[in-house]
Amino acid sequence: MVTSWRISAGLSWLLPGAVAIGFAIALGAPWAWVILATLTALVVFSVTVYPRMRFRRWRWQLTDLAVELRYGVLLHQRETVPYFRIQQIDINAGPVDRVLDLASLQVTTASASGSATLPGIAADAAPQVRAELLARAAIAVADHPGDLRDAV
Amino acid sequence: MPSEPRPPASEPPAPPTTPEPGTTPEPGTTPEPGTTPEPGTTHDHTTTFATPRRLHPASVLVGVPLAQAIQAVILPVVATLAAPLWVTLMFLAVVAVIGLVVRVLDWRMRTFSFDGEVLRVDHGVLSRNHRSVDVGRIQQVEIQRGAVQRLLGLAAIRVETAGSAAEPEVDLRVVPEDDAVALRSAVRASQQRHRGQDVGTAEDGGTTADEEVLRVPMSHVVIAAVTGARLLVLPAVIGGALQFVGNQVGPFVDDVVDRMVELGLAGDTPAFDGPDWRLVAAGAGGLLLLSVLAAIVVGVLRDGNFRIRRVDDDLHVSRGLLSTRDSVVPLRRVQLVEIRRNWIRRVLGYATVRIRSAGGSTGGEGRVTVPLLPVVAVDRLLGEIMPNVEGVPELHSHPPAALRRALFRWLRPAALAVAAVWLAPRVLPFVAADGWVASARPWVLLLLPVNVVLAVVEYRHLAHGLTELVVAARGGALSITTNIAPVVKVQAVTSRRSLFQRRLGLTTLLVHVAGPGALVTVLDAGRDAAAQLHVRLSAHAASPTPVLPGSPQQDSTPPRGRSAATRQPDPLP
Repeated sequence: MVTSWRISAGLSWLLPGAVAIGFAIALGAPWAWVILATLTALVVFSVTVYPRMRFRRWRWQLTDLAVELRYGVLLHQRETVPYFRIQQIDINAGPVDRVLDLASLQVTTASASGSATLPGIAADAAPQVRAELLARAAIAVADHPGDLRDAV
Repeated sequence: MPSEPRPPASEPPAPPTTPEPGTTPEPGTTPEPGTTPEPGTTHDHTTTFATPRRLHPASVLVGVPLAQAIQAVILPVVATLAAPLWVTLMFLAVVAVIGLVVRVLDWRMRTFSFDGEVLRVDHGVLSRNHRSVDVGRIQQVEIQRGAVQRLLGLAAIRVETAGSAAEPEVDLRVVPEDDAVALRSAVRASQQRHRGQDVGTAEDGGTTADEEVLRVPMSHVVIAAVTGARLLVLPAVIGGALQFVGNQVGPFVDDVVDRMVELGLAGDTPAFDGPDWRLVAAGAGGLLLLSVLAAIVVGVLRDGNFRIRRVDDDLHVSRGLLSTRDSVVPLRRVQLVEIRRNWIRRVLGYATVRIRSAGGSTGGEGRVTVPLLPVVAVDRLLGEIMPNVEGVPELHSHPPAALRRALFRWLRPAALAVAAVWLAPRVLPFVAADGWVASARPWVLLLLPVNVVLAVVEYRHLAHGLTELVVAARGGALSITTNIAPVVKVQAVTSRRSLFQRRLGLTTLLVHVAGPGALVTVLDAGRDAAAQLHVRLSAHAASPTPVLPGSPQQDSTPPRGRSAATRQPDPLP
């Protein structure tokens, strides 16, 4: 996963980097070069150190009642998505992920904002995780009678 | 062809559905597979919607969205701007004919049916589109009648499901009014039947309780219009516009007049020496008066006659004078209630209450807004919307460290503005040192104390509360918003702690409920309080306790004030 984040970070800086270099050359002012140097340091940091920090902070677990996620380096986040509220689970794999045989699982609830993404799951394990989540969701729903089954 | 509502498709035209009685069947029509066509037996359209039927023929003309019609007119006019008038007229006529043909075809090919379980809509001329909506998924049904539609005894019916599409799931523009009402009752009856079966208990003997919950008097509608957010910014807009006119247009007019004098076009015209301020003041006053009047008229037309009735477990919300809108929100579908008070309404002691279901479409369709009601009446209304809830729960304010965050939040943009104004002339070569940027400096500096005051005010409003039934959070500086969501509707919980929040021991909690942007945000609560809140809300979300709306056994002791550990209790000011 660290590699995937590294590559994505590197790729995402390509265009802004090119633009910044172009600007620096066009302006030619000394402060433009200072900004460019800072930017370069930032890129190096975001490609080398930051993905590892991010990886170290990433935790997810399946508790009795919910998927729990804890992540974020600067902004610590803790998300709880109960099985009972799960509406949909997607398996996504971008081009970088596919090269590395990874996939991410997106768990969606009825809320527009309350969804959770589990990145960096081995591509062949992702369907198993999804099946496990769906099974737990089904059990959680079956535990509730009639009216309460309706999560919305 | 600007009035064509659908993209062209490659499919050949599908055979039309069974025609309704009254329209002559074309030779060679074949029944649509998948629907339940019974040619010639569709005469009983009083009770059942089981057979597919068309919208009212008037929908060819009445249902046209205004934007589309305007588009259809403007495009040819603009395209033939240079041509003589008759070309434009010809063009318009062609567009009108094409539009009419498209609408007629669309009407012929659009059918809907409801068999007690599934609401089906089939439409599309070239590419057929079949939509079926299960009754269990329907969140909200709304009947809307414009002025023209009311004259003709017609109505539009809108069905919202939980989804995040931009438009209603089903939008049947223009059906006979009786049909609209009948269809809605059929949907509701089916939903109730479903629930009855699922729970295993029948409703008590089929007696319908129908009581009026709220009626907004006309005076309140007028006050709501006058104190509306749009009107409050108007003086600023007018002021800005006048200043612009004074600064820009004045010299420009002078210039033009000078030029004309030079060219000898105008004789010795008196020079334009700035606008006459009395005239400008009178104009501004007139404009203000006009906009106030316009706001009142719009508000009264839209919200006049605002009523909320409670029929069994549904809220019936109707409003509007000329074009009426009548929504039914099942009580158990209420996701979030927003109580808003902008500063002027706070002074007058009024509030606005917005009821949100998970209805997918944005733009005010999925929610119902009470334009204005006295603050003292809010608790009673809440009790009606969310049974067993005794008004706004006891709220607990946040630790003093949150004040530092509030100050930071408010001062950061102000400080940035100050820095920008001071540094811009030095760093950027194209900003003049003595231009308007420099003259703006004192005003920008004034932002700092103002924002400090706003930060303190906002901190004092920050609060949250949790009972066995609802979670509530309050925030906002000038305009206070209190969001209240039933705990059984909580979908997921997120805690956020930034670097600064961690240092100050604060947490921001996001409580997600269904619906676009439906969120209860507890900003900068104490760390422990937020952690407890997170755990308790997750537990509720994972396993909703059986508190049914309207279940009588809960009436005696509504548990209150058992919130997560917090500081001083702080009732709603």
